[in-house]
Amino acid sequence: MLEITQTKDEACTIITLKGEVDASNSVELDAAIQEAVKSGSKNILVEGNALEYISSAGLGVFMSYLEDFQESNISFIIFGLSEKVGNVFHILGLDQLITLVGNKEEALARIYEA
Amino acid sequence: MFKFPNIHIGKITIILAIFSWICLLLVDSLRIFGEVNQLDVGISPQLTNILEIIFFIIVYVFFNDNINKKQNNRFLNLIWRAASTGLVASAFFVASYLFREVLMADTKLAEDEQLKNLSYHISFALTSIFLISTSLLWKNLILYQRTKNVVQQWQAFEIILLMSMFFVLFIEGGETRFGLVAGILFIVIYSIILSVNLKWIPYLTIREKWKSLLFLFIIIFSAVGLFFQLADLQPTQDINLVSNLFLMGLFAFVIIYSLSSFLVTLFNLPTSSVFEQKLVEAISFQKLSQSIKPGEDEERVLDILMDSCMSAAYVDAAWMELHLPDDEIKVAHQRFISDEERGNLRKTLLNTDPFGDFLNTNSPSNIEYIYGKLNYEAFASIVIFQLKVHKKRIGNIFLIKEVKEGFNKEMIDIISTFVGQACISVENYRLLNEALRNERYKEELEIAKKVQQSLLPSHLHHNDCFEIHGFSAAADEVGGDYYETYAYNNHQFAMIIGDVSGKGTSAAFNMSQMKGVFHSLVQINLSPKEFLVKANKALSNCLEKKSFITTTYYILDTKAKTIQFARAGHCPTLYFNQKKGGAEFLKITGMGLGMVRNDQYEEFLEEGYIRYEPGDILLMYTDGIIEAKNEIGEEFGYERLKSTLDGCSRNSAENIKEEIIDTVYSFVGKDTLPDDDYSLMVVKFKG
Repeated sequence: MLEITQTKDEACTIITLKGEVDASNSVELDAAIQEAVKSGSKNILVEGNALEYISSAGLGVFMSYLEDFQESNISFIIFGLSEKVGNVFHILGLDQLITLVGNKEEALARIYEA
Repeated sequence: MFKFPNIHIGKITIILAIFSWICLLLVDSLRIFGEVNQLDVGISPQLTNILEIIFFIIVYVFFNDNINKKQNNRFLNLIWRAASTGLVASAFFVASYLFREVLMADTKLAEDEQLKNLSYHISFALTSIFLISTSLLWKNLILYQRTKNVVQQWQAFEIILLMSMFFVLFIEGGETRFGLVAGILFIVIYSIILSVNLKWIPYLTIREKWKSLLFLFIIIFSAVGLFFQLADLQPTQDINLVSNLFLMGLFAFVIIYSLSSFLVTLFNLPTSSVFEQKLVEAISFQKLSQSIKPGEDEERVLDILMDSCMSAAYVDAAWMELHLPDDEIKVAHQRFISDEERGNLRKTLLNTDPFGDFLNTNSPSNIEYIYGKLNYEAFASIVIFQLKVHKKRIGNIFLIKEVKEGFNKEMIDIISTFVGQACISVENYRLLNEALRNERYKEELEIAKKVQQSLLPSHLHHNDCFEIHGFSAAADEVGGDYYETYAYNNHQFAMIIGDVSGKGTSAAFNMSQMKGVFHSLVQINLSPKEFLVKANKALSNCLEKKSFITTTYYILDTKAKTIQFARAGHCPTLYFNQKKGGAEFLKITGMGLGMVRNDQYEEFLEEGYIRYEPGDILLMYTDGIIEAKNEIGEEFGYERLKSTLDGCSRNSAENIKEEIIDTVYSFVGKDTLPDDDYSLMVVKFKG
């Protein structure tokens, strides 16, 4: 089960993920990110406090947007991942390509730094 | 073997009938001759009676055989046969009457006893033939849709008739008249009882009913006419072929059954159109309920539905619209209405309550149909039915009449049944097609499974310095896990374990690409890091955007007792160190193949190096094992894997493999199927 909510304010778009991302619902995640990119938002944050599991298909979705983010100059930050889920990013090496931070404040701080 | 000649009952009985009739004629002629000349010719009147009985029986046998043989036993045909025989018999009467009374009126010939006798006998024969054949034809009608009871009644009647033939032999003189009357009365009552069996009448169409009325009238007229005329023709008092119970009984039976058929048919006329309508409806229903055969399409069922609805309600105009995927409407069938009229009428309907609401949605409505007044040119009433297939509304059917309140409850009920049945037929057809398609997919997957299983190695390369065992199970028919080995020489080996992102068929395709890459690159003897860099480059061009592959590549040298490895985002290898007495995860940085598709990839890789000792264990596995969940959603995890290996480190490689698989499966629970692919490969070094 995956629940995706998207909120947008002046500074950034926040995509909140709740539940599990697997092969069957990774399409929904893809649609959510695509929507955020299309909306022209330059700062996209993903909140993963309630993300319990992410499969390789879900990781593939993040990976597929890395180039787009670079081209469109979008800062993409994931925050609030549990240790277990964070470890999945780490093992794959995705933490070297995506900025992972602990909480929203840190994420926002990163945005303002840039 | 003795072979029976093919006896033709029909021909034999004709000959016998004619022969017996001639005998009868001769005997009676002799008797008349004796009477006229006051001579005793020595022939008993009983001989006449016996010959008559024989004649009756033979004629009965002939017609019984003849009628059963005829294939075309349509009711109207049967009645026509009876009527035509009656006509022939009557015609002979008229002819002989004219001959006697007009042509020979004043000649002596008119009074000639022998000529009178001949004409009497011919009339008698024709009358008998008419009565017996008609009775047997009536038998077919009575026994239509027979029940056991009716069959028994008829058999009893036949026995009564048979007995009545012999009645004349036993009763003599004055008692005859009383006995005859009593016998006839009995047969009359029995005939009335039999005359209730008229089940064939409703099955005649109106046209046939009119014809059968005419034929029945001819039969009644002929029978009554023959009855009275035959008595008049009697040549002398002594020779009486008519006053016997059998013939009288037949007269009574034929007249009574014809009369009751005549009256019932007559009174059936006004309601017969209703019956015909019901019959048509039943046939339509049957057509609709026959499921569509593969190869035919739904159009045919909808076409039958259209016709059935129209005839069920005597509709003046109708059309059927089908909803296409992108909110378009296609008019599938249109009857007695022009495109323009239909378009305008539909527009009017959209703006009229309650039709507008019913038509405006494409989703299934709770209301099955909608019926109401209409005020559009000549049309005065309309009913619209929705066509619902598989909980989806596929279209509407519009039925229009020029009379006000033209649809009654019965019509709407029957149309509703038609619509329901047609929708079920269409639904069944679609389900069947879907099932066939699924069956095909399953077969394809089965083939894919076999192909993929052949991609995993059946034999893992090794030498005497180490044992190696592998295992793989896919969640779906095909999976994305991969492992393989390669021997450079007798002491240098390459090993790889990998996992393709995603599951199922797409993962399986990428896995086979990985196998191709492995076999190409392993030839050029690269270091693990170089191997991964090259593999990344190769796969970057093949993998789709969202896919990546995680893998760890090892080079094992049993002479130098070293393992060199690099990790491309794959789960860290678990290494059991005999000296330390515990297992550890070999955490080196790495990056999945296909994640960075440029030259920078190399920067994300590290290379590991181990010098192994006897008793050390190298455990390679895929994330399916780590992420395997038990009933309460808990993951198997890295710690359980480590402690499992610690617990069985003294065992052989094969035992370790079994132990880990058993532990994972019992953790997940026996009843749950794996929801990810599990693979592992165990290497145990020997002394």
